[in-house]
Amino acid sequence: MNEQASFNMQVLDALLLDYATGALSLPLEVLVETHLAMNEDSAKTMNMLMKLGGVLLEDSDPVSLSEGALENVLKAIEQDEEQQPHNSKRKIDTDSALLPRPIADYLPDRNNSSWRRIGIGLFECDVVFGNDQGRAKFYRISPGTAIPSHTHTGTEVTLVLQGGFTDETGNYGPGDIAVQEEGGEHKPVADNDGECMVFAVNHGDIRLTGPIGRVLNLLVN
Amino acid sequence: MDIKNENFDFALVTDEPVSLTSAMGTGSDNDNTRGMSNWDDMLVRVGRDRDKDAFASLFEYFGPRIKSFLLRLGTDMSLCEEIAQEAMIMVWRRAETYNPSQSGASTWIFTIARNKRIDRLRRENRPLPDLADPAFAPEPVETGEKTIFRQQEEEKIRHALKNLPDEQAKMIFSAYYEEKSHREISDESGVPLGTVKSRIRLALNRLRAHLDEPEGIWKS
Repeated sequence: MNEQASFNMQVLDALLLDYATGALSLPLEVLVETHLAMNEDSAKTMNMLMKLGGVLLEDSDPVSLSEGALENVLKAIEQDEEQQPHNSKRKIDTDSALLPRPIADYLPDRNNSSWRRIGIGLFECDVVFGNDQGRAKFYRISPGTAIPSHTHTGTEVTLVLQGGFTDETGNYGPGDIAVQEEGGEHKPVADNDGECMVFAVNHGDIRLTGPIGRVLNLLVN
Repeated sequence: MDIKNENFDFALVTDEPVSLTSAMGTGSDNDNTRGMSNWDDMLVRVGRDRDKDAFASLFEYFGPRIKSFLLRLGTDMSLCEEIAQEAMIMVWRRAETYNPSQSGASTWIFTIARNKRIDRLRRENRPLPDLADPAFAPEPVETGEKTIFRQQEEEKIRHALKNLPDEQAKMIFSAYYEEKSHREISDESGVPLGTVKSRIRLALNRLRAHLDEPEGIWKS
């Protein structure tokens, strides 16, 4: 395994662990969830991490719930006993129908005006995740297109949604994650066998935890 | 394009006791919870028979543990209480979709509590993976053999976890119990980010290796 591949694997495991514990920012969470739907090995690892969570939960020391908690909950379940669980509807359009659900919900149709042409055979589209959630973009690259060499300002995690590309570090196909470190420079070329579409998240430090959690974490540590 | 991965199931796999408390330095002995795959049975009863007594037992065991888990994550006390209650309500609502050959009650409940917490803390709501979604339920076949295999895997995880080198175990506990991202573990412990990542990888490799051991014999 070359150095980049082993680096990619390390980042991937760290991301999977962060996903399992719920520590990822929203864009990375979506990225990892999509990856999980496309990669069997990672799916297995995630199952293991969820099991691990179950073990740790089960073995935690209990902290009493408030008095009347059970009555409270029983009352709530009695109230909704007549309700049926609803099946969520999937939206279907040309592109997103082919993709796993987590990412499909964010992908605009290819005719949508949010797609911008930024070079020959290269289109990008910003994905809005609300405030302070980091930067995320979709890219569409025509078959065989070479992207001019570029550097990255922050660490960038890229998930291949369809097609593939090759750069100095290797070849990446559907479901693969490539990681570009801050300051890293590369020159990807889309594979010839079809349009390449990727989802790229600029890896910030922003996390989902609310302000109260953050402050308490600081105090505790 | 192959996009649906049947192996990925959020509700996948498990429970079974065996105290980790010594490994975690949290004190008390958990022996009284041994031999407890009956949590799985109770969850099945809740789903199949809408059994409120079984639910109450699950509630009394897991409710306080969800709360304690959330407290460790630094979540505010009253919010922990709320999320724990909401998670248990969700356990009731979703119990029909629980399949013991896919996951143990504690893992299933862990994923529910995890999702509930994310839902509550995140400013922007996004539908989280639906445990009842057929896409997340790989094989509907229920067999005793699979359930045993699944429980065995659980034991292996406990065993592997106890035998992790300290510096690797620390990464895992910081992640689950303090909800630190790998970046924060690095920032706050002074261990370089690269080292944190490689320790996480080593730890997961060990856990994966334990699960892959052929001694599982349950494969036919």
